[in-house]
Amino acid sequence: MTPTTVRLSNIHKSFGGQEVLRGIDMEARDGDVISIIGASGSGKSTLLRCIPFLEIPDQGEVTVGDTHLRLSGAGHRFSRAEREKVRRLRGQLGFVFQSFNLWPHMTALQNVMEIPLHVQNRPRAECRDEAEAMLAKVGLAEKRDAWPAHLSGGQQQRVAIARALASRPRALLFDEPTSALDPELVGEVLRVIRALAEEGRTMLIVTHEMAFAREVSSHAIYLHEGRIEEKGPPEQVFLDPVSERCRRFVGARPDARGGA
Amino acid sequence: MDDAVTLLGFGPEGWGLALLRGGLMTLAISACAFACGLVLGTLSAWAKIAGPPALRRAADTYGVVMRGIPDLLVIYLFYFGGRQLVSAVAQMFGHVGPVEVSGFATGCLAIGLLSGATQAEVLRGAYHAIPEGTLEAARVAGMRHWTMFRRIIAPQALRTALPGLGNQWQSVIKESALVSVTGLVETLRAVTIAANSTELPFLFFLAGGAIYLAITTISGLFFRLAEWRAMRGQPAAKVGG
Amino acid sequence: MDIAFIVAVFPKLLAGLPLTLLLAVLALAGGGAIALALSGLRASSWVGARIADFYVYVFRGTPLLIQIFLIYYGLAQFPAVRHSVLWPLLREPYVCAVLALMLNDAAYTSEILRGGLRAVSTGAIEAAKVAGMTRLTMLRRIVLPLAFRQALPAYGAEITSMVKATSLASVVTLMEVTGIARAEVSQSYRAIEVFLCAAMIYLVLVTVIARAIQLLEARLSPYRRPALARSPA
Repeated sequence: MTPTTVRLSNIHKSFGGQEVLRGIDMEARDGDVISIIGASGSGKSTLLRCIPFLEIPDQGEVTVGDTHLRLSGAGHRFSRAEREKVRRLRGQLGFVFQSFNLWPHMTALQNVMEIPLHVQNRPRAECRDEAEAMLAKVGLAEKRDAWPAHLSGGQQQRVAIARALASRPRALLFDEPTSALDPELVGEVLRVIRALAEEGRTMLIVTHEMAFAREVSSHAIYLHEGRIEEKGPPEQVFLDPVSERCRRFVGARPDARGGA
Repeated sequence: MDDAVTLLGFGPEGWGLALLRGGLMTLAISACAFACGLVLGTLSAWAKIAGPPALRRAADTYGVVMRGIPDLLVIYLFYFGGRQLVSAVAQMFGHVGPVEVSGFATGCLAIGLLSGATQAEVLRGAYHAIPEGTLEAARVAGMRHWTMFRRIIAPQALRTALPGLGNQWQSVIKESALVSVTGLVETLRAVTIAANSTELPFLFFLAGGAIYLAITTISGLFFRLAEWRAMRGQPAAKVGG
Repeated sequence: MDIAFIVAVFPKLLAGLPLTLLLAVLALAGGGAIALALSGLRASSWVGARIADFYVYVFRGTPLLIQIFLIYYGLAQFPAVRHSVLWPLLREPYVCAVLALMLNDAAYTSEILRGGLRAVSTGAIEAAKVAGMTRLTMLRRIVLPLAFRQALPAYGAEITSMVKATSLASVVTLMEVTGIARAEVSQSYRAIEVFLCAAMIYLVLVTVIARAIQLLEARLSPYRRPALARSPA
């Protein structure tokens, strides 16, 4: 039985009076590539952000590897031990943001080295080597001394992916990685993500790129108004879903083949 | 404590009246200086925006110089230097002895000159924040320069400039305290006299501080009110274009 | 305009420069430390934030000169102060001037810090959080460096402001450049020449400092310069 890398149980989250996540149960095993799709406002980004506690669920349990945290209710105040757990949990994840979020005062290389060096306290030489390897992996070896402001969106996102990889995470989380990119730059980022999937990494990807998601995922989840409406292998979710709403959603996408 | 109340009050023992007069003097000299600064600032801004290169350089130099010299020194220069100058001129006409120069006038000029340099920057920034489109529309309508300035440029620029000018006003109020070195009886001089006379410097300097605080706070409120009224229905200005 | 006189008075004025610089450096160092404390105070609690606000309100709303007078003349009024262990310090115009300059600078610097901190993008902070950084590491590696770079232009202005503000110390008998100038004028009566010389000294000083700040800005934020060659995506 492949071990569970990420598990969410009964996750609830409200913003203001609005309930955005209504009891989500989800599991990613080692090597799974899970696409999370849904309309805007369906809660998919919020769901992903709950995993590293960028959003704090009102209720539910989050498990990453051997670190486990349960939330008792809204307004949960974290004890010191719990905050340490959150940090340990985050350390096992690599997160890629929609707006890249590179640190502007550091070069590409420095950005990629930062986590191994200053969070994981690995030796400098090792961090540098790893960082250069990761930059090469995403095809940006020659941009190691470039400033983020001087890179294109696609390049910045690839550096962001390298940065996430350098921390040697158990799982990679992608929050709409190509949504903020000009169309002609989307391909280079998707290529990198596909390569990572083919390596057998555990990944959770929130995306609008239906065709890509269908090709690359081992499983897919369709979210509607805070609940999982459809869950299963890509052939099911993208081509022949049970849920009528999901059928309409994926059918409505111009680049999804087949469907309703 | 009763002492304090009596001393600050308006009775025969009280310095209240003297302090009040000092406060009014502060307002008077600040208003004059600010007005001077506004005139100089407008001219300087115009020179930097649309003037011939020589004038532009002169305006730039004016700005650099006035922002590089301490306020106190400028006041000293105008007051004592002014006295030296006027005395020298008077001597040429046969006058004997030094000639007194008004602390009010020299203070006003000095602070006006200092303030003008910063106001020029505020006004220049406000001008550049005016959407180019509104100017093009005026030009294409055949508006003359002066009309365009009066009806299109100035109103828009003043709206954006209000916060900066408000800050400058508060600066001028605080700088007016320096004019006390010329002997002019504005607030600081008034409280100093009271402090020396009663040997209660803490009380009176505290009172002086409170007077300045009151003036800057009330002024601040007026400016915010003006800003609010000016910005009604306007899109937020993008300053720093 | 007596050139010989000007040439003679210049070195006398320059003798005040070390004191001017010392006052400025102490004011900025102390003021910076107090500003950091104010920032901490502001972040600590609602009451702390209101206290910090009041401090800034008072020190920015009143003239520096009255602040100096309050400390130098005002404190001396109290027997408690005169008999305290601090009296040997507090009776010195030097200490009082530095104290006033520090407290004044702290008010402006804390506002500059505030603006700088506000300008740090939430994205950069989220990336730091999700990387598992402790709050201290995040502050040290991401927030403060970015806030500092953002605040540098405004802080540069504050530095030149402080250097000019040291001239007020002359009013409480300190012999920095302005103080020496005043003394010279009362002896020679040549106000215009002496004060113009003094003005020149400050002008050069301020210009040098402004240039140094510009260079520092360029070095710390090379990413603000446009890219020299844009490679195709």
